[in-house]
This record gives sequence, structure tokens and C-alpha cells, in this order.
Amino acid sequence: MSYTWNWGIFWQGAADASGTWLHYLLGGLAWTLATTLVAWVLALASGSVVGVARTLPAGWATRFGNAYVELFRNVPLLVQMFLWFFVLPELVPQALGDAIKQMPPPWAAYVPATLCLGFYTSARIAEQVRAGIASLPRGQRMAGTAMGLTLAQTYRHVLLPQAYRIILPPLTSEFLNIIKNSAVALTIGLLELTARARAMQEFTFQVFEAFTAATVLYILVNAVVVAGMRQIERRVAVPGLIGGSGPRTGH
Amino acid sequence: MAMIEMNQVSKWYGAFQVLKDCTTGVDKGEVVVVCGPSGSGKSTLIKCVNALEPFQQGSITVDGVSVGDPRTDLPRLRARVGMVFQHFELFPHMSVVDNLTLAQVKVLDRSREEAVQRALRYLERVGLKEHAPRYPGQLSGGQQQRVAIARALAMDPIAMLFDEPTSALDPEMINEVLDVMVELATEGMTMMVVTHEMGFAREVANRVIFMDRGEIVEDAPKDDFFGKPRSERAAQFLSKILRH
Repeated sequence: MSYTWNWGIFWQGAADASGTWLHYLLGGLAWTLATTLVAWVLALASGSVVGVARTLPAGWATRFGNAYVELFRNVPLLVQMFLWFFVLPELVPQALGDAIKQMPPPWAAYVPATLCLGFYTSARIAEQVRAGIASLPRGQRMAGTAMGLTLAQTYRHVLLPQAYRIILPPLTSEFLNIIKNSAVALTIGLLELTARARAMQEFTFQVFEAFTAATVLYILVNAVVVAGMRQIERRVAVPGLIGGSGPRTGH
Repeated sequence: MAMIEMNQVSKWYGAFQVLKDCTTGVDKGEVVVVCGPSGSGKSTLIKCVNALEPFQQGSITVDGVSVGDPRTDLPRLRARVGMVFQHFELFPHMSVVDNLTLAQVKVLDRSREEAVQRALRYLERVGLKEHAPRYPGQLSGGQQQRVAIARALAMDPIAMLFDEPTSALDPEMINEVLDVMVELATEGMTMMVVTHEMGFAREVANRVIFMDRGEIVEDAPKDDFFGKPRSERAAQFLSKILRH
């Protein structure tokens, strides 16, 4: 293999004349983070609502939640990305569809990418929230109800604080997944980190340097997320309970 | 004066009838023990009193308020009836004192200071004041159940329901819980207690209800029940659990 290594490439001017290749990649990382963080907030909020709905006594809420989860988790992420980008603007009223198609460049890809990642991930979070609530002893709900708390108060003060503690580790994995999954947005033209690494490779032929940089940046970001989530786990750990959950003692 | 009145209460799980025309009551200041073999419906019966379990037929009133009436404000009714569970059901993510103040603040709208004051008073009563800042997972089973009783008392209940409060406890911890319950009974608390602790029934119960297969088979003053149970099934049950 004849390959000319050139680690200095990062300090050479990028093809779009906006700065060095390093700047170019870091700009991609910024779009990755902007997509991921907004999608994560959306996923956490809607995933929690749907997850809770699936544990409510009302049958229609459970059925709605189940349908939602099956819809978003049974279709490949890439297909969902195409549905949001290509198909949705054709399905909505024409004026709205035209407005979507006329969004200026980064937003035309950013908005559908964020919505797609958010809803895709929300289905997975909904499943975890449901499982977390279902794993609690049935008596916890009864105890809250028996002392006069409303259903909403029982969820807010009794069930959810325990369920979230239990599902913190899988939520961490989900956070890492949404960061990695954001790379799929390159297929609809979002110039995030992976897209820019590929562009850099095409312009400079320095394939190893470009993707090494992308790999290192992804690992760094994910390491920060893991450390942050561990901090949260430590802060909310309950004395007397292993791992913040676990069964009751007394036997 | 009847604090709890049950009239012809029936309940089904699908086609299976768990309660059959149950009629009984608990007067103000009375202690009623409910016993019977497992699966006889006694826990279900007691959970119908504060509508933790719905029932399909009959009526239950608590202090004159109909439990089955859809217009009844159930959270408000439940806040007036204390309940103690077999598995304590303290909230493990909250300190002991927060377990006692949660419903006082959220349901009774007491100030945080007032709620804490009351919480500490009731914790002192069950001998656990120094455990207020600890978490349920750091307490023994007996201590947890005493906290659970204090948690119910902090709401100033008009009656207390106990659903097998000592069944999940190690033997050496049963008495510390029963002592608290005996004290409550002698102070005049209205109590409905599902238990197999016949010593407790003998000491403080006014009446004993014996259930079998969803029916109230016997509902008699304590002395009659232990002296000469009228039904064969109750006599059999007693001979089994009093043998040792």
C-alpha cells in the first residue's frame, strides 16, 4: 500500500475556505451536538410521556403508547430519516410542504434529522420508562394512592423518581446511541461530523487522518457523556439501596 | 356509631367471585380482626374499604361517605383512612421523615414545618425519632413497619386499616409492631386488622371476623369467637393455627 501520511493536513486550509480542516471537522461536531442534544431533550420528554401512558389504568392510553412504540422502533432509522425528509413534506397541506422545502440549507436537513432522531429514540426511552415503572412493587402505587395522593402526584413523587433511578444505566446507553445515530443524518445532507470527515477524505485523499479524527472526536464526546451520567447516578443514589434500586430489605 | 359499614359487598375477578355478599361494620373506637385461610378474600375486603380495589355490588360507607359513589372525592376519603401494608411500602428513595411529610404537605396542604413537627412527634411515639434522617433501606423490617404506622398516623386518620402487618416480618420483630398496634387500640383508634396474630386479637379485638372463600362465615364478639366458634370451618381454622 502506498499511502502518504500527512497529519499536518488538519492545519491546511479546507476546501470551503472557511478555515483549516480541523475547523471544518469541529464545525461538523458542533452540528452533531446540536442535532443530538435537541433530539435528546425531545426523546426524553416524549419518551417519558409515552412510557407513563403505557402504565396508566386507562386502556386507551396504554394502546396509544404501544402503537407509538411499535411504529417508531420497528422501522429502520435510515428509512425514518427518508420519511421525514422526502415524504412528510408531500403529505402535509401544500403550503406547509412548500415552506418546509424552502427552508435554507442547514435547517432543511437539521430540522427533519432532529425530529427523526428524537422520535426514534423516544420509542426506546418509552419502553425503558415503562419497564422501570413496571419493575416497582405494585404496593408502591397502592401506598401512594392510599394516603390520598392523586394519580399524577403518585407518579411525580413515588413512581417516577424510583423508575428513573433504575433506568439510568440504559438511559446512558441511549444517550450514546443517539450521538452515534446522528451520523445517519448525512444521508439527507446534514454536514455533521461524519459527513465532513467524508468530505475531507474526498478532497484530500487523507482517509485515515480524516476518519481517525472523527473517531477520536466521537469517543471524546461519548466519554464526557458517560462521565456525566455517572456523576448523576452517584448523586441520586439512595443510601441502603444497592445501585439506587433493588428489592426491599426486611427478609 | 358505625365508622365503616359494608353492605352486601360482592366482587369478581372476571368470572371468579372473590367476595360474596359481605356485610359487616366497624364502630367508632372498635377493633375488628379479620382472619381466615389464604385466598379467602380478607385482604381484598379491607382494600375495598378505601377503594384500592373496586367492587361491583353492594355498598361501603366510611364515616357516612359512600366509597362506591363515583361523585366521591376518593383521594380526600383515602387521606382520612390510614393504611398499613404487609410489605411496609415505604418510599425507598425518600428519607424516613420525608416519607411522613409527603402526603401531609401534598394532600393536607400543611406547611413543611408543621408536617416535620408532626412527623417527628409520631416517630417518637413509635420509638424511631433518631432514625428520621435515615432511609428505609437502612432500617430493619420491624422498624420499617413502625415507620409505616407513624406515616399513616401523621395524617390524623379517623380509622386505620392493617393488611397483614406482621406477616413479612422475622419472628423477633413481630412484637415491636404489635406493641404499637395494641397501644393504638387502647387509645381508642378505630381499627380493621387482617392478621393471623390471635394473641393480638385476644388482647385488644372487640370482634373477630372469619372469612372463607370470599364469604364472611363468622362475625362474633371476641369471647364468643374464641370460646365457641359457631361454624365448623372457623373451628377447624382455629385448631390449625392455635395448635403450636
